[in-house]
Amino acid sequence: MAGRWQRAAPLWRHAHLILTVLVLLVWSLAGGSLAGVLFLPVWVLATQLIVAGSLEAARLRRRAWLEQYLRDDSPWHGWLRGGAMMVARHQLMGALLALVLLVKLRLLAPVLWPLLLAGVPGLVVAQHLLRRRLARHVIADHLAAVTRRLVVVPAAALLTLLLVVAALWLPQPWLVGLGWEEAIARHFPDSSGGAVLGFFERLATVAEITQHWSMQNAVERFRLATPVAMLGWLLLLLIQSTFAWAYVRLLVGAEALRRGRHRPHREASCTGREEDPS
Amino acid sequence: MTRVIRSSSDRLAFGLRAWRSWGASLLVVMALLLLFELGQGWLASRSQAPLFRVIVAGEPLTLDAETHAEFSRDLTALAMETEERLQARMRPWLDERLDSAFAPLESAVPDYLDWYYSPVGSYTRLGVALMGDLDDWLDEQLHRRLVEGTGLESALADLQADYPRRLVSEQQALADEMVATLQARYAPQQVAPEREGERRVHELDLDGVLQEALRDGLDTARWSTAAVGGSGASLLAGRALARRFGASAAAQGSRLALRSLVSRLGAGGMRSLAAGGAASAVAAPAGPGALVVGTVATAVSLAGIAGSEYAMLKVQEALHRPAKQTQLIEAIGETRRALRASLEASASAGAATLTGQVEAQATRAEDDEGMPHAYRILGRRGE
Repeated sequence: MAGRWQRAAPLWRHAHLILTVLVLLVWSLAGGSLAGVLFLPVWVLATQLIVAGSLEAARLRRRAWLEQYLRDDSPWHGWLRGGAMMVARHQLMGALLALVLLVKLRLLAPVLWPLLLAGVPGLVVAQHLLRRRLARHVIADHLAAVTRRLVVVPAAALLTLLLVVAALWLPQPWLVGLGWEEAIARHFPDSSGGAVLGFFERLATVAEITQHWSMQNAVERFRLATPVAMLGWLLLLLIQSTFAWAYVRLLVGAEALRRGRHRPHREASCTGREEDPS
Repeated sequence: MTRVIRSSSDRLAFGLRAWRSWGASLLVVMALLLLFELGQGWLASRSQAPLFRVIVAGEPLTLDAETHAEFSRDLTALAMETEERLQARMRPWLDERLDSAFAPLESAVPDYLDWYYSPVGSYTRLGVALMGDLDDWLDEQLHRRLVEGTGLESALADLQADYPRRLVSEQQALADEMVATLQARYAPQQVAPEREGERRVHELDLDGVLQEALRDGLDTARWSTAAVGGSGASLLAGRALARRFGASAAAQGSRLALRSLVSRLGAGGMRSLAAGGAASAVAAPAGPGALVVGTVATAVSLAGIAGSEYAMLKVQEALHRPAKQTQLIEAIGETRRALRASLEASASAGAATLTGQVEAQATRAEDDEGMPHAYRILGRRGE
């Protein structure tokens, strides 16, 4: 199976990533009403991708724990392997994370999109490098899953860092000397897309304007020293750029969903082996 | 064999499980969406959106945010139409005034041409042409016979004085109409008075804004009406008006006038004219006496052929008069159009002031007082 993937054209091999990113790009650049209509399917898609990745990672973790502490013949293996509760929890968290990501993507400056697009080949390369290093140490069956689990943190950190650095140079609306209410009133988005989507967009805008307003006014009013001001800005922008983590998880989830599907055999035989002793 | 069946059923089960996971996502997302929808509805019902009080036609209207947004849109739309409607109201009046000002002028054209082609007019023109300043003299004649004689100047001065007054009254009427429309449309949509007690209220005095806009518009109209004439004093100074008629009537140029005279004089006259000119040119260094000699020589030769002149003059009149009349009438029409265009432009300027001010109020665009537009964390340090 892997050989077939190796032979396939590289574009086709990563078609799921390209497709995912294109869907997100088109949706986030679409007009308010269209985006409102497509909000539900895109949200479901993003949720599903994030959940696929996070469920895989969670099952991996859970299995390691079970094999560490439980006797081989214990029926708890079956009960604790991760069932409806785990799925429900991850679905809920995934849906919320997807919502944060989607709303943030709607408000993202178009200048930052090339960074996100460049994140896709970056992720592929990082995964490739990581897999090569892990191949000598990790059991072949789990290599792909472990790679996916481990690549999230460095990739997300790198992307966040790049986003922060870009945001340092991006112009922000001038909010110095304005009252908070005035700042909000001035930059409040007048677009009213879908009801819920529009609400979250406005909410996110207000949150962002508030953050920028407080930081700009703090820096300018109190004449903060440059290192302190930079520290504050870095902290603020880091918080704002954490959506990169959700983005990377989404991409990794797309990978898990596609690659995971093509191995029903092994998973079935695995579970079969686990259930057999009972 | 059983192995194969098991494997394929497993595959099916796995596929089902995968789609079940999509279904679960859909379910969760729908549930969240429903929850947020409900929460948003609840928040919207609890939130205290600010109220807007608009003073329209001397009567305050209290509107909620949504109605106020609609009101602003309507106001902007009405203000955008202002110019068109103002022009539509001004046009019949302006046309009538221009007609009454220009009609005597047009009826005076045949009289002028009668004089122009009379022997007296013709020879005076010839004489003046020989003296040299035919252009100024013809302008003077046009002015005296066409402009002064028909009272055009005073009519235009009256028009200039009346135009801004009329403009303001029409604008006032338009504004009143606009306010009445808005009042009629939004008075029934007011918020019940008991709901406004605890809320913040934004106020907009539309009447005041309109009055201010009208005053500014009047200033603009006055300023640009004064600019129409090129001088502050009068809409079109008399001489400039005459020159305008003259300049566009091609045959009026001194060279052409001279040429038509010369062609009428015939070859003999031409030669004597040239001879006279040459004599005076030759004699010129010798002093003014020689100049007189040359002119006298010319005059004598002209007098010699004067006998056959009258008939040729009539022939020329028959040939050229219709064209000349058309040219003059056209020139007058051109002037009238230009005048009308510049007066309408001043009305537009007034209307644009009104529109701009009303729009600025409707969108509540505040002036930025030179505030920078963008804040940069880095990048400005190097500046």
